[in-house]
Amino acid sequence: MAHLSRRQLLAAAGAAAAVSMAGCSDDDGTGGLDDSRAGAMDGFKAGDQFKATEPLTFSIMMLSNQAYPFKENWPFWAELTKRTNVTLRATAVPGSDYNQKRSVVVSAGQAPMIIPKTYHPDEEAFIAGGAIVPVSDYVELMPHYQDKVRRWNLQGNLESYYQQDGKYYLLPGLHENVWQDYSLAMRTDVLTKLGLAVPATWDELTTTLRELRKAYPDRYPFSDRWSTPPSPGANNLLGILSDSYGTKAGWAWNPAYWDAAAGKFVFSGAMDQYRQIVQYLATLVSEKLLDPESFTQTDDSAKQKFANGKSFVISCNAQTLVSECRKDIAKIPGATVAKIPLPTGPMGATLPGESRLENGLMISKKARESKNFVAMMQFIDWLWYSDDGLLFSKWGIAGDTYTGDVDDGTFKLSPQVKWGGLNPGAPKELQVDYGYFNGVFAYGGSTAMLNSQFSDEEKQFQAVMNKRTPRPVGPPHPLSPDEREQVTLWEAALEDHVNQQTLRFILGQRPLSEWDAYVGELKTKGMDKYLDLANKAYQRFKDKK
Amino acid sequence: MTPTRGYRVFQAANGVVLTLVVVVTLFPFVNILARSFSGEHAIRSGQVTLWPRGFNLTTPHRVMSDSLFWTNYRNTVVYTVVATAISIVLTTCYAYVLSKKHLKGRGLLVGIAVLTMFFNGGLIPNYVLVSSLGLRNTLWAIVLPNAISVFNLLVMKAFFESLPPELEEAAAVDGLGTYGTLWRIVLPLSKAVIATMLLFYAVSFWNSWFAGFLYMDRQELFPVTVYLRNLIAGATTGSDYSTASDTALQIAASIQAVTIVLTMLPVLLVYPFVQRFFVSGVLLGAVKG
Amino acid sequence: MRTWRRAVRRDWQLYSLAVLPLLFFVVFRYLPMLGNVIAFRRYQPGGDLFGEYWVGLRYFRMFLTDPTFWQVFGNTVIIGALTLLFCFPLPVVLALLLNEVRRRWLKGFVQTVSYLPHFLSIVVVAGLVLQTVSVDGVINQGLTAVGHDAVAFIQDPGWFRTIYVSSEIWQTVGWGTILYLAALTTIDDDLYQQAKVDGANRWRQTWHVTLPGIRPTMVTLLILNIGTFLAVGFEKVLLLYNPLTYPTADVISTYLYRVGVVSGSFSYAAAIGLFESVIGLTLVLSANWLSRRTVGSSLW
Repeated sequence: MAHLSRRQLLAAAGAAAAVSMAGCSDDDGTGGLDDSRAGAMDGFKAGDQFKATEPLTFSIMMLSNQAYPFKENWPFWAELTKRTNVTLRATAVPGSDYNQKRSVVVSAGQAPMIIPKTYHPDEEAFIAGGAIVPVSDYVELMPHYQDKVRRWNLQGNLESYYQQDGKYYLLPGLHENVWQDYSLAMRTDVLTKLGLAVPATWDELTTTLRELRKAYPDRYPFSDRWSTPPSPGANNLLGILSDSYGTKAGWAWNPAYWDAAAGKFVFSGAMDQYRQIVQYLATLVSEKLLDPESFTQTDDSAKQKFANGKSFVISCNAQTLVSECRKDIAKIPGATVAKIPLPTGPMGATLPGESRLENGLMISKKARESKNFVAMMQFIDWLWYSDDGLLFSKWGIAGDTYTGDVDDGTFKLSPQVKWGGLNPGAPKELQVDYGYFNGVFAYGGSTAMLNSQFSDEEKQFQAVMNKRTPRPVGPPHPLSPDEREQVTLWEAALEDHVNQQTLRFILGQRPLSEWDAYVGELKTKGMDKYLDLANKAYQRFKDKK
Repeated sequence: MTPTRGYRVFQAANGVVLTLVVVVTLFPFVNILARSFSGEHAIRSGQVTLWPRGFNLTTPHRVMSDSLFWTNYRNTVVYTVVATAISIVLTTCYAYVLSKKHLKGRGLLVGIAVLTMFFNGGLIPNYVLVSSLGLRNTLWAIVLPNAISVFNLLVMKAFFESLPPELEEAAAVDGLGTYGTLWRIVLPLSKAVIATMLLFYAVSFWNSWFAGFLYMDRQELFPVTVYLRNLIAGATTGSDYSTASDTALQIAASIQAVTIVLTMLPVLLVYPFVQRFFVSGVLLGAVKG
Repeated sequence: MRTWRRAVRRDWQLYSLAVLPLLFFVVFRYLPMLGNVIAFRRYQPGGDLFGEYWVGLRYFRMFLTDPTFWQVFGNTVIIGALTLLFCFPLPVVLALLLNEVRRRWLKGFVQTVSYLPHFLSIVVVAGLVLQTVSVDGVINQGLTAVGHDAVAFIQDPGWFRTIYVSSEIWQTVGWGTILYLAALTTIDDDLYQQAKVDGANRWRQTWHVTLPGIRPTMVTLLILNIGTFLAVGFEKVLLLYNPLTYPTADVISTYLYRVGVVSGSFSYAAAIGLFESVIGLTLVLSANWLSRRTVGSSLW
């Protein structure tokens, strides 16, 4: 009986995709599912609404964001139970310190069954101790998930999550397309006044900044934010610059960069492309176009400068554009601000492909041992990966909180409900009063789904972004636990040195002519040993395939 | 005795120094108080210094109209009172025992306490312990694991040791046993140090958020410090597609200020009472008598 | 054995007072301490609480041979020592100054205001500090007013220690006076009378009566602070430092944080923790012994 339903699932999802994702371990663990089927649906396939055959309860770790704190009486819960026959028992954790509590609770072996809001590679720490389940073994139970992976071509991205045993341990949120949210905000009224066009490339940005400085010689036209330690500083700026130049820095930092042409991993901080972005920023700072404090000041300081008209360019995303930049300059007569399309660099009109996988779920060992395990996986599949489930957790109930459909652009939020910039005068808030669009459940989805939340302004920005091609993702280099322990120390030492020297080069404390000496220093700190290990691990992974 | 000229100069200098101290410590607070009541735009453009600008009660109102806030506030009061009471009793008893130099095994008892100042088990073993004892989600998870602060213990011990031995001898002559001596003679003379320890423990428990955060899984059980900490974090990190409503923005701008005021208020109200016990001279008169 | 039985019979009341506290120590302090064994075993989060298998001194060797560790250890020692050097005597000085204030209400007011900073969360204090030393902040405004160039203090490793210690002083000096003021009240008034009769002025009274009167408190606090001086505030350093100031600002706890304690290197952290504990304990024992030899009073 068990084998029959498994075959049905395989057929529905597409045999090829299913086999490649379950890895080589077709029989591991999945064979023992006979005792775990209580409450599960037979023949559950893509397009089905999940409904447990008996009322079930699953424990979940619930991040409570204080902007819309966790409420037990949210309509979301009641409707969820009505549709799926599942009640979620939540452990409320303040969003301020979610990671720490999660770490303690999982390490102590006392985690709830479902642990959401986990960003890769945070799950790697818990693998060796056996606290979490290799989810890749069980994706055959999840037809909606498999369907999306296949349709949106995410197999390559998923591979980057593989561990040494060829399995992965995190169920990520899936995006149909790369979603670029962060960019730069500029004072468009000042640009218009000076007859300047919005810069399209980084070099054009330099020219624009020079003009701004000429017109206002007493201030830095660009003063940046998002400098929380421990990354070097002005992390968004470094991040988007590195994306445009083909390396990794700031928020995008990853010590190992996959050099497809050479077929091996190189060290990001030593690449020539990295030197180029350092040089770019050093030029900006030396010409007094970029405020040197950008790299160490608090966000409040940076925002203040923008608010007082002392600077004209600042990093932003869609939300901060509306809620901060625009509000900050409200008292300056005639001031307008817009998020400019991401400036391009040597990599042209492309975007890094990694962000198609989003934060996701870990499944604890306790869940695997439960007799309702299969039902739970199906439930997760429906809620997080089916179109119906995503729509429900994001926007709520058709006819109640919204009308229309996201796929054909007729979607409209009910006038009684407000969210973000939509329906600002409405009496109820989607997240606070209903529990929809909660960061724990509503992540990922099709581009149409994403667009339904954008204001017109943001839709324009996204239209430009969507024309850029996503770049392929590099392969993984999975390490054994012993190797990982060793590598942690090396990575820390290397990253520290990179961060420190990056700032010193940019701020002019160290001349760029010393770049080669800097690379030499990285070598003495173990850069070559590190790369050796990474490349060997990659080879090992490749051979195993 | 009339003050000498030198002393008058000193008094003047003292005045200057103390005024400086007041200014340096008071200014940030006035600033924070002003910000709690200011409009968000004034705050964000850094215009608020000593006086509120764009007077605005949104944040205090939002915070105080949330029933969860009051539940948590009540929790903090309960946790603090119970924890302080238990801590004071345990610390005083143990400090008294440790102050008896003649007691056999005293060194061992002291060592047991002092060693714990340096060695602790770490987060996970503590979590597992509290969990296994079934204390999670109860008030005891906050009260018990930090019941004795060795720092306070040693200070109290030093104080007890400084009391003149004639006291105890007189009590013994009067036929008082250990309990009696402690209760009737020593404690009344120790008001200053006990008041100080009460203050230290109460403030420490009042401001603590970690135990509540770690061991409580339901929001109704959190102390108010966790609530406020989460509010600050929720306001300052734009991690999710969180609300961009006007209220949220106003809150983001002034929530830290409101938090500080709310957490400090009770302590500032209680301290004057405690201060009464720091009156000189009154206490030691009994020795002579 | 006989001496024990006699001691218990004589002092059973005293021993009884110690029972509950001892229970506390055993259950809530010593039991979890067993978890420190993971410094010598391979620990995997979510696995066996006491680790999987013995690895001996592996983790100790790991950090002892790590040059970065020694650099952050040095920083921790220096910052800790500086903090101790400044934050220990200043509350005493302030307490003495307050003691000289004649009007009770003024004294109370100044004292209350002086310890307000103690209540500020570290996040707020760090924000204040960053604002004060920023290029547009108060200090630089003063500098430019007298014709000096503005200095980016927070980006200069040479200034970090000054900034950190100053903020520590500001935050702790007021609160630190409480204990001393309480101790001052226990000084016998007769001693002051006697001193006055002997013709001592206020200064000599302070030197010969007040200071010796609070000496036990001072010694206690000094020894305790010496023992814990390695515990440099993690959160504050984290909020005030940046890669430019790593050479002087990076301390053991922030280094461990970057290396990724959250990502599961608990054994490594436990090993370093044990190392710090041993040092702290040694320091306290030495300080205590020294104090008993020189001043006559000690913690035990």
